[in-house]
Amino acid sequence: MMSNELRVVHYVNQFFGQQGGEDMAGMQFVVKEGPVGPGIALERILGARGKVVATLICGDNYFAENIDRAADEGAGLIADFKPDVFLAGPAFEAGRYGMACGAVSKAVACRFGIPAITGMAEENPGVELYRHDVYIVRTQRSALKVTENLAAMVNLAMKILSRDEQSRLVTREAIGRPSEDGYFAQGVIKNEYTRKTAAERGIDMLLAKLGGGHFETELPLPVQSDLKPAPPIEKPLSRCEIALVSDGGLVPKSNPHGMRGRGNLVWAAYELDTFLPNDFSSDDYSIAHTGYYPVYVLEDPNRMVPADIMRDLEREGVIGKLHPFFYSTSGNGTVRNRCWEMGTEIVKNLQQRGVDGVILTST
Amino acid sequence: MRLQIDGVRVEDVRPGSKTRLKGKILYIDTCDLERALLSDKRIKSVKIDLVRPGSSVRIVNVIDVVQPRCKTEPEGTDFPGWLGKLNVAGNGRAVCLEGIVVTICNRFSHRSYSAILDMSGWGSELSKYGKMPHVVLDPEPVEHVSEREFELAAREAGLRAAVYLAAAGSSKRRTGTEIFDLKPALGRKGKLPRVGYCYMLYTPQHDYQGISDPIFYGGQVTEILPTIVHPNEILDGALVNALTVRGMETYSIQNHAVIKELYKRHGRDLVFAGMIVYAATMEPLRRQRNAMIAASLASNVLKADGMVLTKCYGGMPHVDEALVAEACENMGIKTTMFVHLVHSGSSLANSALFSSPKLDAIINVGQALERIVLPKAEKILGGNPDTPIYNPDVNQTAGSAGLDVEQFLLAGLHDHLGSSRIVAVDY
Repeated sequence: MMSNELRVVHYVNQFFGQQGGEDMAGMQFVVKEGPVGPGIALERILGARGKVVATLICGDNYFAENIDRAADEGAGLIADFKPDVFLAGPAFEAGRYGMACGAVSKAVACRFGIPAITGMAEENPGVELYRHDVYIVRTQRSALKVTENLAAMVNLAMKILSRDEQSRLVTREAIGRPSEDGYFAQGVIKNEYTRKTAAERGIDMLLAKLGGGHFETELPLPVQSDLKPAPPIEKPLSRCEIALVSDGGLVPKSNPHGMRGRGNLVWAAYELDTFLPNDFSSDDYSIAHTGYYPVYVLEDPNRMVPADIMRDLEREGVIGKLHPFFYSTSGNGTVRNRCWEMGTEIVKNLQQRGVDGVILTST
Repeated sequence: MRLQIDGVRVEDVRPGSKTRLKGKILYIDTCDLERALLSDKRIKSVKIDLVRPGSSVRIVNVIDVVQPRCKTEPEGTDFPGWLGKLNVAGNGRAVCLEGIVVTICNRFSHRSYSAILDMSGWGSELSKYGKMPHVVLDPEPVEHVSEREFELAAREAGLRAAVYLAAAGSSKRRTGTEIFDLKPALGRKGKLPRVGYCYMLYTPQHDYQGISDPIFYGGQVTEILPTIVHPNEILDGALVNALTVRGMETYSIQNHAVIKELYKRHGRDLVFAGMIVYAATMEPLRRQRNAMIAASLASNVLKADGMVLTKCYGGMPHVDEALVAEACENMGIKTTMFVHLVHSGSSLANSALFSSPKLDAIINVGQALERIVLPKAEKILGGNPDTPIYNPDVNQTAGSAGLDVEQFLLAGLHDHLGSSRIVAVDY
């Protein structure tokens, strides 16, 4: 093989791998040298650009039994082939096949840092699960246009591997927008170059808005559902259990849950008596939050998570009980939908434990 | 208020026995420059490097980039509140050396991050400063000067050097002149819309050691009420960068893209109705009060039909800006807001920190945290190859091959004031 020919590894299921139909859906991984089934068309499409050096085949049911384990297993099997690119499927609308393609592509991309591309129809459940991690080319539901789909996958791979001085992206990736290159949006935000400066665009936009002309915002805003505040607690406060929750990023010194100072996605519950005792030491805490100057909270975490006052109020009978767990997260540049999810998860916890009210502190 | 900026084009900086401009080359007597900077008793010494674009140099610990400017009328009024005596900026004449910059490094600050600047390779292509010759200042403090005090000294040194260098150009033929004069807009039949500019100067949320950086006529702005300032004041040295780079270097302020664009269209497409400045705040009541006062100034004093709003770095300031914009919209003033994205995941719609149907005209200046990998640089200025360079996931140093940085750390790439040609898009 020429040294600048791409080494491509292709994943297919038992059917496209010509091992059998549903009867063979339970088969384990098999690796064959060279292309198999649609891999032959794939190699034709690659032409001088590359060779399918190996085909990884697995039964849809075997994979579906334990997707993560199978994905890891599959990724491990291809290491010796030193792939430059990994292509899977396309899986069209086949659900198990789509999940397998998505999972094994993700595992390969993570392990080897190479482009991993697959193809699915919009209806395939694998799309929603894997489009953030893997490039998924949009296909039809049937295999009718498989050659076109494979060509789109190859084109995408070639683009990803190249750097383009003329690229419209600041990162110089040669990839086009999802609608242009025929793949499902990955849920990332990339910087593009524009012809006009932001100042020019801004004043153009304002003049259009003032003149009743057409303009298009560069930041679509979320449609905010009307969130109704919870009604007041009906029980007397002296019988209520109140919990402390904060998004200020207060964590134990070692940050055991790996909360990120920016773009954090996790929350944790810490037992309040051990986490923030009255005789706390400032050395025992970290702040996983880069959006504020944390010195005052580190000096005394009660400034942000007022456990000391709550304990007094509990002792005085003003509140019934201070909930024994403190729920901590870091909300700095965290995407809105994950904030919503984390809140929902925390609330489920609180409701299961019979908490009546929450004091939510921020920074 | 009439400001005339006489531009003198400079294409190269070289060491010389006397600081003077000869043709398009600025010769600099670096000893004389250092002497001028040592008039500040907080500074022990200043390493001065003249760097040309194309050299394999990485400048680290960058706290500001300044365009050489020197007031010729009235003399001695440069950067009022810092160098000269307090005098309203924005009037008279200044000479400006176009095409070169002063870059100030502070390797003695312990702030979480400071900017970098590459003079060759991909990094230099990304930054508007990467193609200009630089006069790099790397000062050292006298013993017992506090970290905070030295930050102020370094900032002043940068301004002082900018004036010193521009003075060499004051008697030279200018290569271009810009005049900033808000004459009543004449001509054109039909009413031109009155457009004002609402400028968020600062956010205190990252205040280092809990102290706000002084930036406006040498003073802090965190406690100011929204107020009217003439745009010329901004162009002429009333405002400088905070003590760290956050997408709004002094150079960007001196060449304020939104102000200049409004001036360009004044009398043609719009009447530049004036400017309001304010600061973001962490106090909800003050934030609402600011919005109310700013909108009232826009409506009753500027009599604006439309307002352009910009912000400074940070997530929280989106909320401040949105409240001001909403207050303006509620008074019948149409707004366009400039925002930026502070993360890369998810979609644009999931990224907004505010939501209001009236805020339908938004410019985004890019995603600040997108990562780029820069090639190895042979020489490091402002630090050394072991100087840590911030990355949220890995430890790396200035001398690393393949320096993986978030874009906001590359001075001259992103600009909150509108000079960049970048937009963040869903992918």
